[in-house]
Amino acid sequence: MVSKNMIEYDSTSPVKSDMNNCVESGIPGFDKFISDDENGIGGIPENTSTLIYGPPKTGKSVFCYQFMYHGLSKNEPCLYLTTDYGIKQLQQRMMDFEWYLQGYMQDQMVYIIDALSSLSGTKMTDTSIYKPSSVQNPTDIMVKLGVGTIFVYRKSPKFRSIFDSLKILLAFNPDMLVVRILKAYIKRIKEAGGTAIIAHTEGTADIEIEEVIKKTADNVLRLDGELIKIERMPGIRKNEAQYQITDGGLIVL
Amino acid sequence: MIKKSFIPKLDDLLGGGIPEGVSVIFCAYPGVNSEAFGYQMLNGRLEEGDNGFVFTNIAEPDTITYEFNSYGWDLETMLEEEQVFFVDGSSHFIGAPPNGRYIIEDYSQIEEAVIKAIRDVPNGIGLINNLSTLIDYLGNEDTLNIIKKWNEIAKEKKTTLVYIFTEWDYDKNFIDEIKNSVDCVVHLKTIEERVIIGQGFMVAGASWTKPSDIMVLFFVMQPGGVKVYIPKILVTGPYNAGKSSFVKAISTKSVSVDRQALGTIPTTIAMDIGHLDYKGFFADIFGTPGQERFDLILNVLSKEAVGAFVLVDSTAPETFGRAKEMIRKCRAEAIPKIIIANKQDIPGALAPEKIREMMKLGKDIPIVPAIATEKKGTTEALDVLLTLLYGD
Repeated sequence: MVSKNMIEYDSTSPVKSDMNNCVESGIPGFDKFISDDENGIGGIPENTSTLIYGPPKTGKSVFCYQFMYHGLSKNEPCLYLTTDYGIKQLQQRMMDFEWYLQGYMQDQMVYIIDALSSLSGTKMTDTSIYKPSSVQNPTDIMVKLGVGTIFVYRKSPKFRSIFDSLKILLAFNPDMLVVRILKAYIKRIKEAGGTAIIAHTEGTADIEIEEVIKKTADNVLRLDGELIKIERMPGIRKNEAQYQITDGGLIVL
Repeated sequence: MIKKSFIPKLDDLLGGGIPEGVSVIFCAYPGVNSEAFGYQMLNGRLEEGDNGFVFTNIAEPDTITYEFNSYGWDLETMLEEEQVFFVDGSSHFIGAPPNGRYIIEDYSQIEEAVIKAIRDVPNGIGLINNLSTLIDYLGNEDTLNIIKKWNEIAKEKKTTLVYIFTEWDYDKNFIDEIKNSVDCVVHLKTIEERVIIGQGFMVAGASWTKPSDIMVLFFVMQPGGVKVYIPKILVTGPYNAGKSSFVKAISTKSVSVDRQALGTIPTTIAMDIGHLDYKGFFADIFGTPGQERFDLILNVLSKEAVGAFVLVDSTAPETFGRAKEMIRKCRAEAIPKIIIANKQDIPGALAPEKIREMMKLGKDIPIVPAIATEKKGTTEALDVLLTLLYGD
């Protein structure tokens, strides 16, 4: 392969990452919470990877939906790797918050890799923006991720990517292989200039592996149902705030 | 007896084909469709009348049969006729009903089940999909020992063994050991510039022949399987930078379409087309016109190109801005590029590093000095292109 360090990008590149640029989360109160700026202008640093972890049912997936949906509303396409819910469930769960994915799918603004539906034995037909894969087959997931990255990158060099979540992958693969997939995923998205969010349910891997997972992402946030905590985000001090899951999604208080 | 691989061009690289009883590994960079290679080899051999098996730990047999079907290959009938069977190392682990001649319920059973399968298909073919998934279950040492044992038995039974292997971030020495355990290593690589823009295969080694070290570009079609193609290389740059001369210099044959005299300097108003055959690498060369009104062509061509030469007239710094604009237009579709600092023979020509400074180019964008009209620097330019495409 031609690695990124072989070919650098000059300063005029329109897609060059800039750590000063932030990506709006769409979560009320969140961007201000993770900003040290007195004006409260902040967001997730562009072209980074962010791990969101915590116990089950604490809003990690809702965070992902909200982040994706806000991006779509700003014309930023999204590459979504879903391993916890099949495409139908994903759409239904988003509809609970009145976030409607169908229109964006028709406009080809979202590219979905569904690694779960095949587990139920359903043979899903692939389309230009929907690719079925399998949680047991990381090689295939990466092939589809490669094609999906080209697809969203050509729509817009500023794109978002979601990986929700590591839980089912950990159930069907050796833990270390899941770490390898995670590293390959982050590398692929960051090289393409995207901003990645990865969800992980605490306690679904060995403690040592959990630590490796946390070290693999640039930023680490923990959600426990009441508090959202910045555990690591370069340039941002460690902090925590209360949050709620409402009918309109997460709100950081 | 030599068997065909059923992968286009691969037999040519392997001195005619694959001797019986050898092991072949497809080592893929994550993102390359390696499974298609294994499926295509198996299907080809089955259609020739050989027997075979598939060991799967990545999807239950039904899903793999469905995949074969999507490529246009009828595995189902051959399964019914017992010409091929599964070693099912998947279903039990996902709670699906097992479906195979041998069923794996514990990873410790894999070694023996595959040995039985190899013995069941003498002179046939066995596909191991996927080796990478075995490694983290069994550990490096045990996996290596098992591969060696399988390969010995396969040799004895004259069975071809094909491994699908994804090169995740394993230790380099371990990867080398894996590769040293088999008779033939085929690398499946990506050509990237931010995103994957091409895929190619290269034979890294074969015990029975000295393979050609060229990369064959391919794509995978469903239906259809692995198809090779001749990639496009773009030659672009501002007006009067010497693009037509460069296309002519690197091509075995070339033609300038609609070359007309506009004023005093003859220029290309449609495009130059050439064919490159350098060290076994084949490509079609497209030289674009330099004038802005033809940028649409640049945009269209760059979508399908895997690399670009951007020519600049080293004596005309006033055109560098336009050259950068053209680079940006290539970058819009993200392709690897090489700057050719042309007209180095003309007094006042700027040195490559000066051009880099003036154009504010990153240090890792290669700049090759050249005199296209005298074919000087063109070989160097092609070598840099191959380095970019072939990678490490």
